[in-house]
Amino acid sequence: MNTIDQLVLDENNILFYPMMGNSYQLNNLGNEIVTSLKQHKTKDEIIEALALKYEVSKSELFIDVSDFLSKLKIYGLLS
Amino acid sequence: MSEVKYEKPTINKIEFAMASKYGSPMKTQNIRTEIDGVSVNKLTEKYGSPIFVFSQRQIEEKYNTLYSAFSSRYPDVTFGWSYKTNYLNEICKVFHNLGSIAEVVSEFEYQKARALGIEGKNIIFNGPYKPYEDLKIAVQEGAKIHVDNLFELNDLEKIADELDMKIPVAIRINMDTGTYPQWSRFGFNYESGDAYEAIKRMYDGGKLYLNGIHSHIGTFMLDANAYKLATTKIMQLKAQVETDFNSEIEYIDLGGGFASKSNLKGVYQSADVIVPTADDYAQAITDAIYANNKSEKLPKLYLETGRAMIDEAGYLLTSVHGYKRFPDGKKGYILDAGVNLLYTSTWYNFNIELDKHYEGENEPSMLNGPLCMNIDVIEEHLMLPALDRGSVLTISPVGAYNYTQAMQFIRYKPAVVMIDTKGEAHVIKDVDDLATVNYKEV
Ligand SMILES: Cc1ncc(COP(=O)(O)O)c(C=O)c1O
Repeated sequence: MNTIDQLVLDENNILFYPMMGNSYQLNNLGNEIVTSLKQHKTKDEIIEALALKYEVSKSELFIDVSDFLSKLKIYGLLS
Repeated sequence: MSEVKYEKPTINKIEFAMASKYGSPMKTQNIRTEIDGVSVNKLTEKYGSPIFVFSQRQIEEKYNTLYSAFSSRYPDVTFGWSYKTNYLNEICKVFHNLGSIAEVVSEFEYQKARALGIEGKNIIFNGPYKPYEDLKIAVQEGAKIHVDNLFELNDLEKIADELDMKIPVAIRINMDTGTYPQWSRFGFNYESGDAYEAIKRMYDGGKLYLNGIHSHIGTFMLDANAYKLATTKIMQLKAQVETDFNSEIEYIDLGGGFASKSNLKGVYQSADVIVPTADDYAQAITDAIYANNKSEKLPKLYLETGRAMIDEAGYLLTSVHGYKRFPDGKKGYILDAGVNLLYTSTWYNFNIELDKHYEGENEPSMLNGPLCMNIDVIEEHLMLPALDRGSVLTISPVGAYNYTQAMQFIRYKPAVVMIDTKGEAHVIKDVDDLATVNYKEV
């Protein structure tokens, strides 16, 4: 199973990684992105969806989503 | 599109050790929206970013606090504005209007003071290197010459011959005041007897006479008692010289060195706790004068306080240009101001304040300047929320030494604004341009 599928997300934006016993604090948008990743959405699809919902350009979203994904990788939560 | 508020996505590992009763490092944000009522965002919009900002009100308050700490204890005290600390003309003028004379350490600082209308007699000329011609001008104009070494003493005797006059001079001495490092490079040592020997040599020559004794024991002195020791030694030397050479020494000068509220790297207590107050310093110095005065008249007292006068009245506004995620997980911000403008970042940790409150948690971050140099680090590790591009950070205290030592390196030196006592901002130095950089090149 992919790491992302093992992650447990609660209503307080806490993400739990049972195998390592680590917890992570997300904000709302972090929660939305992790939820989309768990639905196996691609980065492009996630950016498309966010661009429709928020008043932010795709170029800015690209930077922020890329950064968020890098941090997930650094934490070992995304391969 | 809907109106859902956008907040950059964040994720931070929960470290239980970080939650403490002192407040969470994940949440604490230091905010500054204005300086003396002027919005930091308006300042950068109007005058550009980065920009140095000085508060005239804060300079005046500091001067008044320091001055009254001494004048309430001692009848005759004068401050000399230490030009090297900040010699922007408008800054010097504020100090001169408050009653400071000038303290200079080079010919160009001397010329600057003269150009501002300061008479020679109101200029203290310090420093280990005083070119002969400039020294001669200073003597002719009646400046207070503080002799640093025997070569200078010889030069002064030659000048005395050329001008056919006897020159009053002061001597700079250094001594052990129990602090480390001991500043022994400047002037003549007290304990070894070198200071006395130099004075004797001066009287033997018959061309100079002593009218002042000066010391500057170091900078950022966290121990007020060091001044008590310095003053005691100066007063002892004064009494001895007055007896041995049947003379009267008009003044003593305790130099600068009072600490400002900067946070010295490697010191973990806050500056508010460890920095002595103006009253502490004043008490130490004036007590020692009264305790050791052997002459009928009390000497005039000069001080050359630099950093403590102005450091906290100076701010650097800088804007976020972008950010990167480093392989260790840290977020690295690229700012438009770097170590080229913050010479003192080697020794002090600055206060970094945000222009607004951000929702969301802090994460480990690093502040880098715009220079294409690996050393361009303003702050290696601090906790910040996800900052917007273009947001303005206020870095302080930076009023002392940063502007004068700022390098014209890679980027233009920025403009400087002063907020006057009515709360109005004025440019006191324009941003450099290609013409300033190329000036005098062939
Ligand atoms: C002779 C002399 N006077 C005054 C000062 C000002 O010192 P501070 O800024 O520590 O008060 C200095 C600084 O090094 C100095 O060398």
